[in-house]
Amino acid sequence: MPTLEVIGLRKSFGSVTAVADISFEVQAGEVFTIIGPNGAGKTTTLEMIEGLLSPDAGTISIDGLTWAKDAERIKSRIGVQPQSSAMFDLLTVEENLELFASFYPKSRPADEVLSMINLADHRNKRVKSLSGGQRQRLAIGLAMINDPDIVFLDEPTTGLDPQARRNIWDIVLNLKSMGKTTILTTHYMEEAEKLSDRVCIVDQGRVVTLDTPAALIGRLTREREVRLSFLDGEEAAAAAEAVAQDEPTVVRTSREGTSLALWSVQPEETLYGLFGFTKERGYRVEQVSIREMSLEDVFIAFTGKEWRD
Amino acid sequence: MNAGKTFGKLFSANLKMMFREKQVWFWNIFFPIILMSIFMLIFGGGNDKDFKAKIAVVKPAQSQAADSVLGMLKQVPVFEWKSEEPVSAEQADTWIKDKDVDGVVVLPADGALSSLKLIVNTENEGNATSQALRGILDQIVAQANLAAAGVQQPAFRFEMSSVTAGSEDLSYVDFLMTGMIALAIAQGGLFGMVDLVEMRRKGLLKRLRMTPVRMGLLGLASMLVRFALGVFQICCLAAIGVFGFGANLHIDVPTLIVAFFIGSLAFNAIGYLISSFSKSLEAYMGVANIASFLMMFISGIFFPTNSLPDWLQPVTNVLPLTYFVEGLRDGMVYGSGLGTSDFWLGAGVLALWGGLAYLLGATLYRRTKVEVR
Repeated sequence: MPTLEVIGLRKSFGSVTAVADISFEVQAGEVFTIIGPNGAGKTTTLEMIEGLLSPDAGTISIDGLTWAKDAERIKSRIGVQPQSSAMFDLLTVEENLELFASFYPKSRPADEVLSMINLADHRNKRVKSLSGGQRQRLAIGLAMINDPDIVFLDEPTTGLDPQARRNIWDIVLNLKSMGKTTILTTHYMEEAEKLSDRVCIVDQGRVVTLDTPAALIGRLTREREVRLSFLDGEEAAAAAEAVAQDEPTVVRTSREGTSLALWSVQPEETLYGLFGFTKERGYRVEQVSIREMSLEDVFIAFTGKEWRD
Repeated sequence: MNAGKTFGKLFSANLKMMFREKQVWFWNIFFPIILMSIFMLIFGGGNDKDFKAKIAVVKPAQSQAADSVLGMLKQVPVFEWKSEEPVSAEQADTWIKDKDVDGVVVLPADGALSSLKLIVNTENEGNATSQALRGILDQIVAQANLAAAGVQQPAFRFEMSSVTAGSEDLSYVDFLMTGMIALAIAQGGLFGMVDLVEMRRKGLLKRLRMTPVRMGLLGLASMLVRFALGVFQICCLAAIGVFGFGANLHIDVPTLIVAFFIGSLAFNAIGYLISSFSKSLEAYMGVANIASFLMMFISGIFFPTNSLPDWLQPVTNVLPLTYFVEGLRDGMVYGSGLGTSDFWLGAGVLALWGGLAYLLGATLYRRTKVEVR
C-alpha cells in the first residue's frame, strides 16, 4: 500500500481552477518532488494533502487514513514545513521546539532535533535573530518534532545561499536515510535531480509527467549540443562546420569565431567523423564538450516554459 | 495529547512572548504611568488638608481695631508668619514682589471707615491661595463686624460638606488613578489582539492548524496571560497612585474581581472583532487607535462625565469604557458595587458589548478565512 495516495484532486477558487486533476502515489521512504511553474497548483495540492483545504473533488489517503475521519491521527503522522515557515519569533529555538512538541502525543526530544538540524549552538537564540538558513532549518526541525512518517517541505531552499541550501540537502538526505517519506517542492532543478527518487511535473493544475529523474531525462529523444573550439583560426572552424553539416547525424550547426556548436542525435558518431577530418588536416581542437541533458530540459520540453519565473 | 502539559507550555510561551515584546511594556505599563503622573501633577495638587499661606502684617497706626484683628489672625491655624511682629509697608512690599509671602494684611487704622486690606502679587491674584486668603479675611471682617454690632450669637451659620456615593470622599487623585487603570486594561484588550493579525499574516495560525493542538486551548492560554498583565497593571498603577500621589484605596475585592473580568473580556472581545477584519498590523492599529481615542475622553477617565456637553451624554452612555471605569471605581475606591443595581447595569452593558463583538468577530473570521478544520 502506498504511504500517500492522491486520486483526481480538484480545487477551484471562484472562477480560477487552481488544481484541475492531480493523481499520484508515494511509496514509503521515497523522496517525492513536485515541480512546476508558479501558479501550477503545487501549494494548493500540498495544502489539500496537509488538510488545510478540502478538495472540490478527489480523495487523499495517508497510510489508509482520510481527513474526514482521522484528522487527529493524520496530524500526528505528518510534519509540515510550510512556505511561510511561520514560528514564534519571540521565542528561542529550543522554546519553539518544546512548545510544538507539547502539541503532540509523542515527540522526538528537542536535543535530537537540534543536532539533526545543526542548531544546537543556537538553541537559546530567539528566532527573530536567526539567519534565513537557520530559520529554514528550524522550520524543518519543527516539522520533525513529532517524529512523523511523512514530511512535507514546501520550497525549503528558496532564497537561501548555496551553502545554506546544501545544509538543507543534507537534512533531506538524512531524513531519507531514516526511512521517512518526504514530499518536496522546489524551484531548483539541481536540487530535484539530486534529492528525489521520483519527480512529478505539474502544470496548469495537472500532472504533466512523473518518473525518476534519470528516466525523465532519458525520455528526451532530442539532439544534444556539442561544442568545439579551434586553435587554428576561423578557417579551421568554418571548414569543420562544412564537414559537420554533411554528417547525417547533425541537425544544425552554429559558429561564432573559432567556436563551433552543433546539435547531433548521435554525438559519438558525429565526433568520430569530425575528428577524422581535423586529424587529416592537422587542425588542433582545444575544447570539446557534450552538454548533459538536465531536468531543466525535461521541464522545458514538457511545459514549454522557461524555468526561471 | 496531554492537554494540561500543552496548556502549561502555551501559557508560559505566551507569557514569555508578552514580556519580551517591548511594545507591550511601553503601551501597557509605561505609557499609562506617564500619562497618569502628568495628569496628577497638573490637576492633582492642592489638597485642602495641606493648605498653608504665608503672610505678614503691616500696622500703619496704633489702634484698638488693629490689635483685635491681629489677635483674630493669629488664631487662624493655616497662616504661617513671615514675621511675628508687624512690619513696615516697604518691607512688606519687597516680600510680596519677591514672593516671599503669599499675602500681606494691612491692619485697619482707627477711623470712621476702618478697612482691612489684603495685598498680593498680581501674578498670584487669581490663584487658589489668594482666593482662600480672601475668603478667610472676609470671614474675619464679618465676625469683627458682628462683634462690633454687639451680636454675640449669629443667627445663621453656613456649613458646607460634599456628598459622594461612597463611604469616603473621592479626591481627583483617586478618580484619575482608577480612570487610568481602566484605560490601561481597556487598551490592553483593544490593542492586544494585534498578535492574532500578525499570526494570521505570517501563516502561524495556518501552521498551528496543521498540528493537533486545539485552537481553543491557545485562545484560553493567551487570555489568561492577558489577565495576568491586567493584574500587573492594576498593581503598578495603584502603587504609584497611592505611594506617589497619596491616592486612597477602599477596595471591595468581589466587586473589583467581577468588574475586572467582565471588562477585560469585553475589551478583548472588541480587540478580537477588530482583528477579524484587519488584514494588516497597520489597519488594526488604526482602528484600535480610533476606538481608544474616541472613548478615552468621553468615558470619564480624566474628568467626570457630567462635565461633558449634554449632546455628548448619550454617546458616553453607550460606550463600554464608561461602565468599566465606573465598575472599577466601585471596586477600588467607593468600596461598594455588587449590591447596587447600577453596577449590574454597567456589567450588563459590558457583557453585551463583549458578547456582540465576539459573535460578530467569530462570524467574520469564519467568512474571511479560507477554511478552518
